[in-house]
Formats: sequence, structure tokens, C-alpha cells
Amino acid sequence: MSSPVAARFVGSAVHRKEDRRLLTGHGQYVADASAPRMVHAAFLRSEHAKARLNSVNIEAALSAPGVVAVYLWSDFHEKFGEAWHAMLGQELVVPPPLAIMDVRYVGDPIALVIAESRALAEDACGLIEVDYEAEQATVDYATAAADGNVVHAAWGLPSNVMVDMPFTPMSPDLDETFNSVQHVVETTIIQNRYLCVPMETRGVLASWVPGLEELDLIVSTQSVHETRNFFARYLGLDEGAVRVSARDVGGGFGQKMFVFREECAVVLATKLLGRPVKWIEDRLENLTSAGHSRNELGKVRMAISADGIIEAITVDHVADVGAYTPCPAVMDPTLLPGPYRIPRLGFSTQMVWTNTMGKAAYRGPWMFETTAREMAIDIAARQIGMDPAELRRRNLLSLAELPFTSPGGKVFQEITPLETLEQALGMLGYEEFRKEQAEAREQGRWLGVGICVYVEPTSMEQATLGTEGATIRIDSNGKVVAYLSTSSHGQSVETTMAQIIADDLGVAYDDVTVVQGDTQSTPYGPGTGGSRTAVIAGGAAHDAAVAVRDKVLAIAAHMMEAAPEDLQIAEGVIAVRGTPDRSLTMKEVATQAYTNAHTLPGDVGSGLEATIRFKPTRFPTWSNATHVCVVEIDPDTFIPRILRYIVSEDCGKMINPQVVEGQIFGGVVQGLGGVLYEDFRYDPDGNPQTTTFLDYLLPTTGETPLIEIGHIESVSTTNPGGFKGMGEGGAIGAHAAVANAVGDALAHLGVNVTSTPLGPEDIFQLVQASQKERA
Amino acid sequence: MNDRTRVRLTVNGHAEQVEVEPRAILADVLRDNLGLTGTHLACEHGVCGACTVLIDGEAARSCLVFAVQAEGASITTVEGIAPDGGLSPVQEAMRDCHGLQCGFCTPGIVVSMTAYLNTHPNPSDADLKEAMSGNLCRCTGYQGILAAARQAADRMNASS
Amino acid sequence: MKPSQFQHHAPERVDEVVALLAEYGDDAKVLAGGQSLIPIMALRMATYPHLVDIARVPDLSKISATPNAVRVGAMVRQSHAERDAAVATVPLLAKALPHIGHFQIRNRGTVGGSIAHADPASELPAVALALDARIEATGPGGVRFIDASEFFLSTWQTALDDGEILSAVEFPVWGAGSGFGVEEIARRKGDFALVGALAGVTLDGDRVTRACITMIGVGSTPVRCHEAEAALIAGGANADLNEIGRIAAAPLTPTHDVHASAAYRKHVSPAIVRRALTAALKEARS
Repeated sequence: MSSPVAARFVGSAVHRKEDRRLLTGHGQYVADASAPRMVHAAFLRSEHAKARLNSVNIEAALSAPGVVAVYLWSDFHEKFGEAWHAMLGQELVVPPPLAIMDVRYVGDPIALVIAESRALAEDACGLIEVDYEAEQATVDYATAAADGNVVHAAWGLPSNVMVDMPFTPMSPDLDETFNSVQHVVETTIIQNRYLCVPMETRGVLASWVPGLEELDLIVSTQSVHETRNFFARYLGLDEGAVRVSARDVGGGFGQKMFVFREECAVVLATKLLGRPVKWIEDRLENLTSAGHSRNELGKVRMAISADGIIEAITVDHVADVGAYTPCPAVMDPTLLPGPYRIPRLGFSTQMVWTNTMGKAAYRGPWMFETTAREMAIDIAARQIGMDPAELRRRNLLSLAELPFTSPGGKVFQEITPLETLEQALGMLGYEEFRKEQAEAREQGRWLGVGICVYVEPTSMEQATLGTEGATIRIDSNGKVVAYLSTSSHGQSVETTMAQIIADDLGVAYDDVTVVQGDTQSTPYGPGTGGSRTAVIAGGAAHDAAVAVRDKVLAIAAHMMEAAPEDLQIAEGVIAVRGTPDRSLTMKEVATQAYTNAHTLPGDVGSGLEATIRFKPTRFPTWSNATHVCVVEIDPDTFIPRILRYIVSEDCGKMINPQVVEGQIFGGVVQGLGGVLYEDFRYDPDGNPQTTTFLDYLLPTTGETPLIEIGHIESVSTTNPGGFKGMGEGGAIGAHAAVANAVGDALAHLGVNVTSTPLGPEDIFQLVQASQKERA
Repeated sequence: MNDRTRVRLTVNGHAEQVEVEPRAILADVLRDNLGLTGTHLACEHGVCGACTVLIDGEAARSCLVFAVQAEGASITTVEGIAPDGGLSPVQEAMRDCHGLQCGFCTPGIVVSMTAYLNTHPNPSDADLKEAMSGNLCRCTGYQGILAAARQAADRMNASS
Repeated sequence: MKPSQFQHHAPERVDEVVALLAEYGDDAKVLAGGQSLIPIMALRMATYPHLVDIARVPDLSKISATPNAVRVGAMVRQSHAERDAAVATVPLLAKALPHIGHFQIRNRGTVGGSIAHADPASELPAVALALDARIEATGPGGVRFIDASEFFLSTWQTALDDGEILSAVEFPVWGAGSGFGVEEIARRKGDFALVGALAGVTLDGDRVTRACITMIGVGSTPVRCHEAEAALIAGGANADLNEIGRIAAAPLTPTHDVHASAAYRKHVSPAIVRRALTAALKEARS
């Protein structure tokens, strides 16, 4: 049977539904919300990385103008219950809302001041006297495991090691392979600490309504439902007594995936006060206290045959999770071989605590596998005297040889690693570039090209992540409202889901309204993260739309005395195929379905609404890409500049190519920012050094290259639309591509680039060290 | 010391009068006293540009201006860029070119781009890169923003 | 991130400004464009009980020209100076202005405020130093002039006495045959310079009759490179500019920060000087 509708919107760059309100200043972010009798919160935060709190004197603060309350741990103690997220499990507990007896990082919240304005709350924070007894902090994660100075000594923990997985060979002949191959390459790759930095900081407006015994939260979050579930457990309430909403969220990138201790403190404050409490984090807090990312290192070993076949790869991996980690999302070592035909794997992993801000999820949280592998491949190529593109070409998987099961147990299907490499190299003109590079070197110019190939696990199954829900309703006017489980924070979800639904229902895109980010009206969903909306929410939207369409057809068939399979829907008009004069509008069908439902036969039902939950046919849905970057480094100033940036990607069928490319652009600039500009630094005592936007440097238009994108569409079979996730890939691939380009530009000087960041100072130090070594 | 000061402003064409603390920054007064929440605060120390408004026609960071300094001034916020309820050429171009994702930096981008193009009718691509470098965006990688600036410049030029 | 409370004073005459500064002493701070001051206050790195806002003093917002100098009032906005015809006769100032922050900052920031703020990485103090500008200070005792070479004492510290304001700056106009160059490197567009050089030359054929070289970001004040100027005058228009750059860099003792080490700043300085001089010589020849 042919489909009763024709696709018109999926695949096209329609205007975003979000844009009109956002462009005219009518977005609704948490900072824009207010409530009667609302008061404002500010945290007093630790100035020490590690210290005992001998005393905290709040007397002066309490009597300061406009101050409503000042809370310490003792006020919150025993006022809350369980503090865990379903996705992360019950063992990973959100740290206490305020410091108890000691502080463990600069920014650790000590007191919460509630006042009539934020300015007055900040004034009062300045009047709190804290008697710290400072202790030596543990800051360097590379040495923290062996450091007897224990971050969580107060909890009686014996060491700084949170997780220690000893070396595990995934292949029995690993040692033998390393002993017998032509080349063994060993290098330690270090990725710096850089951060999500959403333009909207964290924030919450928490209102406890005493008579109703209900909690209402407007919060800047990636997951309203998980936030609702968390606080229901936290306060011992039914989920129905907690409402969480977030209409517009100004970016998250992983940072806002889980509930923070600060949000817990604000919720406890509104409960104690019975007044709405608003906390809008400032940028200083966001940079120092909202969850840090990356900061991992790995000793990579590769066994490579004489003809450039990578026979084995191993890593000894260490990740810094800071003092308290909101989400200990670190490298997935089973992904280390990536989209390569590498048959053998081994790894160890260690996660260590330090007296720094804790690790949060960030766009491709597992991505150090890509950074480590791809930077190591460039080191290997130089060591064995082979072009890095050629070394990759000889080892990459291509679509024709799939499925392929990696030594890490990953089953790859429907990906195009070799194909994207060739497309990207072709877009650059790789051979011509090598000639240009050689000529430039003759003239004293330092040009380099970097490649990064990766595979991206999207729409994963972990805990709550495997499913999304959609309720779709055609209303009494024949217009469509879709209630989705998603929590968009910039991903154009209202737009892309409306495109799918409009096509499946045969209605105009403009006639679809998408509602999300409100626990009172939408189905449960784990939140927007893990590149899963297109696949999983898209699947739910599709299935629910088809279910509603079936109802439309059944009722219309009854009304027109036709068979449902003889009907088609186009532009919101239901007609008998081949007989266009026999037709009904969606509104006429809706009137029949709602207003005259009693006249419908029993087997046709009533109303035009369906709720469906969807899960893909298998997990994950793989997507893939190749990034190619060209940099030039000024030999006088060591300032790197990106000349070209190319991405060849395969995210399956694209719902909206403009949205796909927008996600890639944004991810790439975050990734290149982390190499060339962004670097969150602590001094050896754990004092943060980059606490403002003058020191923590986000790229601007001035540093951002034009990004060229090529598409390859190998359709996914995990979901009805053939989609793949792709939200994180840009940020995954850019880091190694840029670092490798810098490495290539400096290779003729004898420099080996194995760590990031790579700002002018870093490049200067590398060149100086190499010249010293040579002299 | 905590006396409030009366400040008179013209905001998006309307005469307004507010009583504010001298320390109140213009952005907070627009948002909290006048309910114009389109002007966003994302750094409050003058780097990100999200709070950009026009003061007497010139773009400025409203987090780096005390409201008392703006006494008598005419302010245009993002809400006043297209007062007829439609979209201005800049706003249209931003929508056409996917110049926004989460939308948080967008008001500052719209105001800065509008101010720049009003005084620079024939910008080169390099000019646009420089002009927009004072507004941070974390979502778009600036590709759509620069494309929008190009489109808006060309269309404003063609229609003038 | 909200500033502490303060009292706002908005006098309309310079003598009223001076009287307010006398009345409140260390508790008072002059507010000009606020583009440096307000972030410092928002971050609560400083608190001032009294701000004396000089924006409503008409006399401070004037630009006037004599054949030999251009006098820029303290409250002249940087963007207005950028567009001013008289300022164009001081090409080094005109070239330096667009390097300050972003256009939104320059719409509020002032020429006098930037010089009085005396950040060692900012451009306008270096322009004043390079051109031997005269700083007009107005205080309880009236007006006095301070040579730029005497004005910048250290980071954010100047030779202004307590109770004095910088009321104007007089920039000398160089004659025909002159050229100027501003070269700086920064982490990003609009950031404070890691290292910068501002240079001017006057040529008579291949003879360099006048030269100025000032560097920024390499110390606690802008640094005038007298030895390098002398070497350029001695060596003429075809001098080895790399060598001039090395002479300029040799005595520097830069500081370090999170963006660059002292060694880096010193290492790149010769090239920055060379580039600024190359531009200046090119302009002078044209």
C-alpha cells in the first residue's frame, strides 16, 4: 500500500518555529520569570581549595538591609531525602547543598543568603566571616592517585582514586602482537580542561506553595522530567506534586543535564521560607562552580605492521573528576579503536579526585578516545614515515565491509568512515595542499593540516536514555499540538519534530505546535542529551503521528463511506484517491471526532489523539564524520590561525540540513576553542586563574574560520525516519583535527604535539624546547 | 546612601520614569523595572555583548552603564528593533541563515548588527567579522550569524 | 555580580568636579565612560562610596585644534574621536583607537578615561607617551600640565594628585613626511594586547628626522624605546628593522599573566616593533 501522505518538510530548511520569539526579545528564560513575594539568592563560596571551616559568623549578614535569611548546612541538615538521578544510579549522590565541616574546591558553597534583591544578597555575602583553616590542596590529577593528601579524607576515603580499572587486554594475543610487529608507537596525549560555557548561566525559580504542598520549579535544565523526579525523591513528594518547566534554555551542552547542589539549596530555601526563591548564577560562578570538563590523559601504544596496518591499540587512561562530580562522564575506552579495523585492544582507566571543580558532562563526554587515538595516529605516522592520511586510509572501515565488531565489542553498521575521509580530503585538495605546504616552508611559513576521523555513538540505551514519548492531538479546529518528552536548549526541536509530524499527518508545518519542557503536560523523557532527539523523540513523534493519522483516516472513511486505504491526506485535506472532489478538511474530521463522537460506530473510536513511547530497534545509532583542518602559525608570534575547516559527515537522513549544519558549526567552534583559546587553569594551590570572560577565552567571529561541510547519507535502520544523532560530533572531532594541524605545521621543527591547549604561549614553549634539544 | 534616584528614559519610543539605586545597571532596570526581558545578561562584565542596546542610536553594553548615566537618553532594546510586530531585515536574515540556536545571545547580536549596518552600508566580509566580534555566541559557531550579516547588509543596501 | 552601593554625583562644571573630589577624598572615584571601572565594580574588585560622573560637564567633551596640537577633552568618547577630523591630524591616535575593545565599548569609553586608567596593555596611554603628549590636570590649585613621560607610574597609577582629574590631553601634530604604525597581537579580536608597538617616523628622503617607538603589554606602564629610536634615526629609513626591534626589546622586563609568559613577550617584541616600523615607514614614504 502506498503511503497516504507525501513527505514535504523533512529534508528541507524550513524557518525555525523558535526564531520569531527569540529574535524579538520574547523568549522565556528562567531569569525572565518572576513570582509574587519572590526573593533572591546568592551563595557565599569558598576562597580555598581545601580548608576546615572553624567557624562561619552570619550575624552581620542577617541584620544587613533587605536580608530575609542566611542558611548554613545546619539549617538544611535532615531536611532532605534521596539525592540521585535515575540515569546515573543511586550510588552517585549529589553532594550536600552546602559545605558541612570543610571545603574541597574554590567555589564550594558555604552559605546561602536570601534577600530582597540579588545585589543586597551579594552585599550580605560580603559580611559573612569565615574562619578557614587552610590545608594543602591536591590539584594535579596526573599525580593525585599516588598522593597521600586525600581530597575526601573527611569521609574516611583512603586515596584519591574514585575508579581504578587495571589494565584489561580485550584480545588474548595483545602482548605477542606488540612483541612481533615492525613498529611500536608510544605517546602520552593530554587534553586540557575546558568547559561547556552556555551563554545562559544556571538558574532556578523555586516556589514552594505551603497550602498546596506543591513545588513549582522554573529551571534552566536539559531535563525537566529528571529534575522533577529528582526533587520528588529529594523532598519525599509524589511526582505529581512537583512541576518543573523550562520554556527557553540558553544552552547546556551537557552541563545542565543533572540537578546541581545549588539547585537543591534553593529548593530547600523556598521550602523553609514559603516564598519563591530565585537564583540566577553569575558568570564568575558559572566558570568556577558549574561543572568542568575534559582534563584527561592517556598513554597510548600502537602496534603497526611494516605496511601500515594498525594491529593493536592500548591506552592507560587517567581522568580528573574534581572534588565532587555531577556526572563522572569520562572516556569510553572500548571506543578507542574508533572506526578503524584495529583488531586488538587493551586499556586501563583511573578516575581521580582533586580539589578542583568536579567533572560534568560535555558534548561527547567520552570523546577523549578520539583525541587520544587521532593525535597518536599522527605521531605514529611521523614515526613510521607515512603520510597521516594514508595511514588512516589503510585502516579505516568502509560501508561495504559492515557490520564489523570491534575488539571493544561495538557492532558498527551503516557508517562511512573511509568515505567521509575521502570526501573531506577531496574538498581540501589534499595532495595540492601538501605541495603548497612544502613551498610555504621554503618561504618560512608554517602551514599544517590535521585530520580526525571518529564514530559517534548516538541514541544510547543507558538507564533512562533508551526511550522518549509523544502525545499528538489534532484539536477541535483541525490543528496539531504535539506534547513531546524533550527538553530543548537550542537544538531546534520544535522545528524538526514539527517537520516530521506535518509530513506524517499531511498537514502544513505552520499548523503544528510543539509543546515541551513542562512536566505537567508532556510525557516523561530523560532530557535532551546524548544526541538522541532525532532518532528517539523523532521515532515517538512519527509513531504517534501515524497513530493519529490512522484515526483521522478511520473517521474520514466512515464520513465519506470509503475505505481508509483509499484515502490520502495533503495540505490538511482528506480526499479519496483519484476522486479529489470527495474530500474533508481536518477541521470537519475533528468536529466529527470530538463534537459528534456519539454518532461514530464503536470500532472507529472518538477523538484524534495518541500517546506513544518509542525505542529504537537497536542501540546505539552510529553516525560518523571526518574533520580536516588547515592552520598557519606565525613564526614571529606563534599565533595559530585556521585557514580552512572541512567536515564530511554522515548523520543518515537529515530532517533539516540547516539544523544539522548548525549543530556541526557550533560543535566545531567549541572544539577548536578548547585547543586554541579556552583553557581553565588552576594554580598549584587550587586557585582558579581564568574566572572571567577576559581570561577564559571563547572564540569570537574574529577567530572562527568558514566551515565547509560535505554530507554523505547512509540511512539508519534503527528508527523509522532513517535518522542518526549528530549533536556532539562537531565537538568530538574538532579537538584532534586542530591539534594535529598545529602538530603538522610544527613537525619540520622537530616538535611533537601531544597535548593541548595550543595557544601562542604553548607553541612558543614547544618550539623553544625543540630548538634547545637540537642545539 | 541607599537613596533611590529618579531616572527618565525614552525606551523604544516610550517615555519612562524609574526610581533606582545608583548602582543599578541599565540592563537590570530595563529587565526588572520596565519588564523588557529581551535584553539578556550573560557575563555582567562587559565581554559577551548579550546585553547590547542602543543608547541614543549607538550600540552599548547595558551591563557597563549605570541607569543614572542614561538620564535623558533614548534607549532601543531588541523589543524595539521591529516595533510593528514583524521582523526587521536583520531579524529576517538571522532567521533565514540559522543565526541562532538557543537564542540567549541573540538580542545582543541583533542590536549590534543593526547598529553596525545602520552606519556601514557597504561592509566587506572582513568588516562584518570584525564588527560582530564583540558578541559571543556558544551555539552557532558564528557561521549563520556572519551569513545573516551579509544577507542583511546586501538587502538593506538593495532597498535603500 | 552586582556593584556595591554608591552615591552618584553628576556635576556640570569642572570646578564642581574638583570640589566633590576634595570633599570625598579617597571615597570618590571619577566615572567617565565606565568601560573599565564598571566591570571592576561589578566583580567587587573595588568599591567606591562616591562616583563623580563627569559626563554632564560640557567643557570636558570638546575637541579643539591648534596648528601644532589637538586637545581632546577627557570625556570625548573614543568612537567620536575615531570620526573626528581634528583627531585625523594625529594619525597615531586615529590608528590606535580602532584597536580598543569593540565598537560597542568605544561608543561609551573615553579618551581621557583610558589614559587616566593607565592600563599598561592599552593603546591610548601608549599614544600619549609616544607622541610626548601633555596631560592637562585640573585640581584645587587650577590647571597644570604633566608630560606623558612623567605621567604613567605603574599599573593603574598615574602622576595625578589626589583631588585632580585628567581634564584633557594635548596630542602634538607631526609635520609632513611622517608615517605611523600600530601593531599588536592579542589572543582574540578586541582583547588586550599581549604585546604591541606604536611607532612614528618623519622622513627627509632616507633620513629619519624624528622617531617614536612605544610598546605595550611589556611592563607595568607603556614603555618608550629611546635606544631604538636613536638607532633608527642613526640608521635611517633603510636601517635593519630587525636590529631596531632587538634594540627595543633588549631592556624590556615584561610581566607574565595567564595568557603569556615574560619570556614570550620579550621574544616576540622585536618582530612587533619591526612590523609597526615597517608600516610607519611605508606611510611616511607615500
